[in-house]
Amino acid sequence: MSVSQISVFLESKPGHLRRVLDSFEEAGVSVRGYSASDTGDYGIVRFIVDDPDAALAVLQGQGAAATKTEVLCVRLDDRPGELARVMGVMADCGINVSYSYSLISTYIALSVKDLARAEELLAHEPVELIGQDSLAQPFGAAEASPAAEGGR
Amino acid sequence: MADLTVKGAALAAVAAGDFADLPIHDPAVECASREQIRAVQLEKLKAQVAWTYERVPWYRARMDELGVAPDDVRTLEDVRKLPFTDKAVLRETFPYGLFAVPMDEVVELHASSGTTGKPIVVGYNAHDMDVWSDCIARLAQMAGVVPGDRAQMAFGYGMFTGGFGLHYGLQKLGCMMIPAGSGNTERHIAMIEDYGTTVLIATPSYALHVCEVGERMGFDWESSTLRVGLFGGEPCPPGLKAEIEARMHIVCTDNYGLTEVMGPGVSGECLAARDMQHIAEDHFLWEVVDPETGEPVPEGAMGELVLTPLDKQAIPVLRYRTHDLTRVVCEPCACGRTTARMQKVRARSDDMLIIRGTNVFPSQVEDVLAGIEGVTPHYRIVVETVGGLDRMTVHVELKPEAFSDSYEEMDAFRAAIAEKLKGVLLVGVRVKLVEPGGIERTTGKAKHVEDLRKK
Repeated sequence: MSVSQISVFLESKPGHLRRVLDSFEEAGVSVRGYSASDTGDYGIVRFIVDDPDAALAVLQGQGAAATKTEVLCVRLDDRPGELARVMGVMADCGINVSYSYSLISTYIALSVKDLARAEELLAHEPVELIGQDSLAQPFGAAEASPAAEGGR
Repeated sequence: MADLTVKGAALAAVAAGDFADLPIHDPAVECASREQIRAVQLEKLKAQVAWTYERVPWYRARMDELGVAPDDVRTLEDVRKLPFTDKAVLRETFPYGLFAVPMDEVVELHASSGTTGKPIVVGYNAHDMDVWSDCIARLAQMAGVVPGDRAQMAFGYGMFTGGFGLHYGLQKLGCMMIPAGSGNTERHIAMIEDYGTTVLIATPSYALHVCEVGERMGFDWESSTLRVGLFGGEPCPPGLKAEIEARMHIVCTDNYGLTEVMGPGVSGECLAARDMQHIAEDHFLWEVVDPETGEPVPEGAMGELVLTPLDKQAIPVLRYRTHDLTRVVCEPCACGRTTARMQKVRARSDDMLIIRGTNVFPSQVEDVLAGIEGVTPHYRIVVETVGGLDRMTVHVELKPEAFSDSYEEMDAFRAAIAEKLKGVLLVGVRVKLVEPGGIERTTGKAKHVEDLRKK
């Protein structure tokens, strides 16, 4: 189980991120989490949204350099030590996390090289992977229907 | 007989090696023997020098100073006895100092896009306008444009010679002009569709912009009426032209000219040898000289192009130093023309950058980028001084398909471009990746270089 991430190449200049977000809003795409980092000259901004295909179509329609990749998404319990526990599981399984960032609530996105292998390794570990569907609902609703799929 | 108004027919004929059906506007001149061409040139040169000496005090003074009289011009080689003209002279004599006819005979004024100081002003009488239109009709036909074509102008009108020059010439050929002017790309595309435009006149960089905007709008270039692109105003790198031809499904040629000697129409590309342009030799005497010494280079060697218009009455110019670097060959062309051909100008003797002691031409950057998948032909060069040293940064536009969600890959891509540039330029440069569309598209001469060093 994984979620789709939309990455877009942006120059590090005022207004460029807003342009993307405005177009998402216009297309009714809801951002559930994002990460922006840069090299000084340019940056890659990564989004997790409720409707990745719509988001990608919007960006491609603008001629932007954008791509869709799959990442793991884990739901954490909101208690001290939980992040350390999950990263510990990753380490114990020998899964290298290329990068990671947090989303709404206590979800975190984790990019790994071999997604299928990671899913296989994590299947029997105490981590709660969630799928795209869980991100479509507003935060409160998601909390109210715990561990819809993939929870153990 | 191939119907050239059918999209793709001209290129198909060329691919089949069949040039017989391609139009030649004035075969009597364009296909004359070398001897005939030289005879016409000599006769006109003598008359032009006499005209200039008699009517323009500046030239009379210069020639007297050099001890040369119009009668001293007896062969074409004698042109070397005459003084050079450079841009500075046209500035010093602003506005009418070099005019050779009464002002009431002048029917049109044009001016170059001077970025500093006074512009260069040139005038035309009715005879000059005729010659100019004739030159344009020739280069349009070289590209396969025929009477009845519908030609849409995407150059700005106004003082710039490109707009009106092409306009009059194409009209004289028998085309319907659509004087849209520059800017408003979506309107251009709507006009192509609504009016059945077959020929687009634009700078190559603007043509690519029109192409991209059309693609984004969902416009189908393949089934559109557009057939020919006539490019000018800036040099067109081969990679850019090939890309536009493939994406817009048109055939594109570019032509050469400069305001100081007339405007566009000095030479034009035929479909047989796409890196070369036929010079309108009955109207322009060419020389190729060493830019440092002004002495002629061996035949066929690279050097600075020097032009003497042979038919220009209102403002005659002798031996104009173009600063454009080229070479000229006189062998007959597969297209049937015998007029000399100049290699397309890719570099100017005065746009050379010196980076930490190494000579660098923007055209070298263009050539490298044309060979790299994943970047567009658009670029910008910024030169600055950092820690007392020259630093050149090349801004390169990423194509969407070259993007990956990995800093590692993007940085490797950036480094590979820098490495390729270094291999050709022989000096290290920084490469900065910018977003698709991030480099400004211009309708005039694309501004490729920003030199921020203190002069």
